[in-house]
Amino acid sequence: MTNAQLEIQIILSLVAVACALPGVFLVLRKMALISDAISHSILPGIVLGFFITQDLASPLLIVMATLTGVLTVVLVEYIQKTGLVKEDTAIGLVFPSMFSIGVILIARNAGDVHLDVDAVLLGEVAFAPFDRWMYNGIDMGPKSLWMIGTILTVSISLLILFFKELKVATFDAGLAASLGFTPIGIHYGLMTVSSVTTVGAFDAIGAILVVAFMIVPAASIYLLTNNLKKMLVYSALLGVFASIVGYWIAHFLDASIAGTIATVLGLLFFMVYLFAPDKGYISQWYKIKQQKTEVAMLVFMLHIANHEEEQERNVNHLQEHINWTSQLARKVLRLANQNNMIVIKNDVVSLTPKGAEFTNKAVSYISDNKNAELEGIKQNFFLFRG
Amino acid sequence: MINEYLNLLLKDYTLQIITLGTAVLGAVCGMLGSFAVLRKQSLLGDAISHASLPGIAIVFLVLGVKSNNGLLLGALASGLVSAVFIKGIISKTHLKADTALGIVLSTFFGFGMLLLTYIQKLPNANQSGLEKYLFGQAATLLASDVWLMTAIAGISLLIVLLFWKEFKMVLFDPDYTKTLGFNVKFIDTLITSFIVIAIVMGLQTVGVVLMSAMLLAPAAAARQWTNSLAKMVMLAGLFGATSGVVGTAISASANNLSTGPVIVLIATLFVVFSFVFSPIRGLLFKQIKLWKNRNDLKLMKTLMFMYNLVKDHEDISHPHKIQLLNNFQGYTKKSLKRLQAEDLILLNRSDWSLTEKGFNTAKNLYTQEL
Repeated sequence: MTNAQLEIQIILSLVAVACALPGVFLVLRKMALISDAISHSILPGIVLGFFITQDLASPLLIVMATLTGVLTVVLVEYIQKTGLVKEDTAIGLVFPSMFSIGVILIARNAGDVHLDVDAVLLGEVAFAPFDRWMYNGIDMGPKSLWMIGTILTVSISLLILFFKELKVATFDAGLAASLGFTPIGIHYGLMTVSSVTTVGAFDAIGAILVVAFMIVPAASIYLLTNNLKKMLVYSALLGVFASIVGYWIAHFLDASIAGTIATVLGLLFFMVYLFAPDKGYISQWYKIKQQKTEVAMLVFMLHIANHEEEQERNVNHLQEHINWTSQLARKVLRLANQNNMIVIKNDVVSLTPKGAEFTNKAVSYISDNKNAELEGIKQNFFLFRG
Repeated sequence: MINEYLNLLLKDYTLQIITLGTAVLGAVCGMLGSFAVLRKQSLLGDAISHASLPGIAIVFLVLGVKSNNGLLLGALASGLVSAVFIKGIISKTHLKADTALGIVLSTFFGFGMLLLTYIQKLPNANQSGLEKYLFGQAATLLASDVWLMTAIAGISLLIVLLFWKEFKMVLFDPDYTKTLGFNVKFIDTLITSFIVIAIVMGLQTVGVVLMSAMLLAPAAAARQWTNSLAKMVMLAGLFGATSGVVGTAISASANNLSTGPVIVLIATLFVVFSFVFSPIRGLLFKQIKLWKNRNDLKLMKTLMFMYNLVKDHEDISHPHKIQLLNNFQGYTKKSLKRLQAEDLILLNRSDWSLTEKGFNTAKNLYTQEL
């Protein structure tokens, strides 16, 4: 591993952490797409800053781009407040127009500007180690390493300082306001940090993939835990892991580093989406299937309890009466039988004492819907999951 | 300048083709975008347009040559797959729509970039022109592209007309539609598929990044002028087509102006104009209404003050001096004149007196028994 490779991996890891931290809050606040909007609409800011300084790594550029990022948020919120369109439409209206202004600005000055829209949108981290910061003739390392390092340090300090406020404002803005925390201040602080991070990250990974770095780790971890601190730490770790794995795959394939990392992040999310215990696709699917069986069972038991007449309780009659397929009917019948809820004599179904008691409990639960009884009922249901 | 452009338009076949193409694209996007906006799926367009990139890249990898229709089919397939993923994430997990869109948008796009950069390093790759899908190049539109677009536009118009009732119902009350026995899932898929088709169609012209605005802006503008779905869809189509034509004209008559961004900015202008000047929902109208309400309130306050002065007199129409009103802030000469115009008071030089009507209005002001 050469020195440059090591530096690239450090830069990528720092970018991943810097993006993951605000990303967690964006996902929790249902504002994930604000990061998409910011990442596109910083273009005019970058272009204007670049016109003035002619240097892609100058601090003025960051300031200008951050300002346009915050301006985007303000505009989106203003449009939203007028109530003329929904929030998502407001986002969709603002950033393409900002981006268009940026593209036109570049095109109009194509002759004397060495700035490519591709460079802003797609980024390239492979060149980062060559743009070094020389101080008094001493090599201090790549400029972008310093930039993203500074941004990360600031955002971690802000996170530690305002953790409590951020937490309250995210989960209960009303409570935060009544405690005197100014959720609006927190909101704009978060937006500013997101903008700065986006700006710091774009020349390494490109504006579009900043979204992947911000949203995907947070969303994956959100499927695994509900604890905010754990979410922050694990999202950052996941981001770093994906960055390093992605870097080496890209190295092997000779493909775009940022694109590969985003792909790795996507695959990781997909794995979590499928296999997450409790909230994943498979576990949800299983849960819903079980609930369906439980409901079917309950309907069946109530039906039997409601009918005294033997002909209503005939096995063959049941199928047409509750309007089930023969497969479902057979399954429910077998399950109930296995759990000693019913007895079948001469093709006539009757409830056992246990089944009658269960049905009574279920009816009283359904009619008063009290939470206290919920737990007991749940355990009863658990009996015939099999 | 306009004459010059019209002359150019009459002579230049390429320009005619491009103008027709952007107009058709704008119209279709406006029409289908109305559904996206009303379904609160505004940013679906953004996600799907980004997510079409891997499809383009895969078709390119497999076919090896740049066949336009093949690439579009790849984009379409990948757009549809991404729509399925978005739906899966929203319905099966507790993640919200915005997160689902963000995930699909960025990871699909990242995968597309991986493939594209991989292609670019293959020895005989003729990858030039793939980049145009990022930013769009209306100038590369061929007559055959425009005919394809027109055909698709015709088909989607037909579908919208055929399923008009169903679309409308699913839009405003999906649960009720389900109880009536309509196949909501099918209708839902149909709308989404046509939105994806419109997006894929627009990629070549306005590009991945700006496609969402093509879909949204005309619809958001049209929404401000009407509450009827039919009118909104037609208006949105009209706005979209106009943005296309005007945007193409501006970019053709100036140097170094890419068509896509100009069209988007024109569409945004439509939105801004509609936000401000629409007669019912517009900001200007609302402001004027606010001022008028404030004025009316002041007028009534003045009337109430007069009523309180007068009510203990035997003759309610007994004249009083205007100076009496001086320590009350709500009146101006203009407001007194307006009160007189409405027959609520009578003015006689420096005197005023309440009329019968004025007295009764003031009396019932708080009780609302007019």
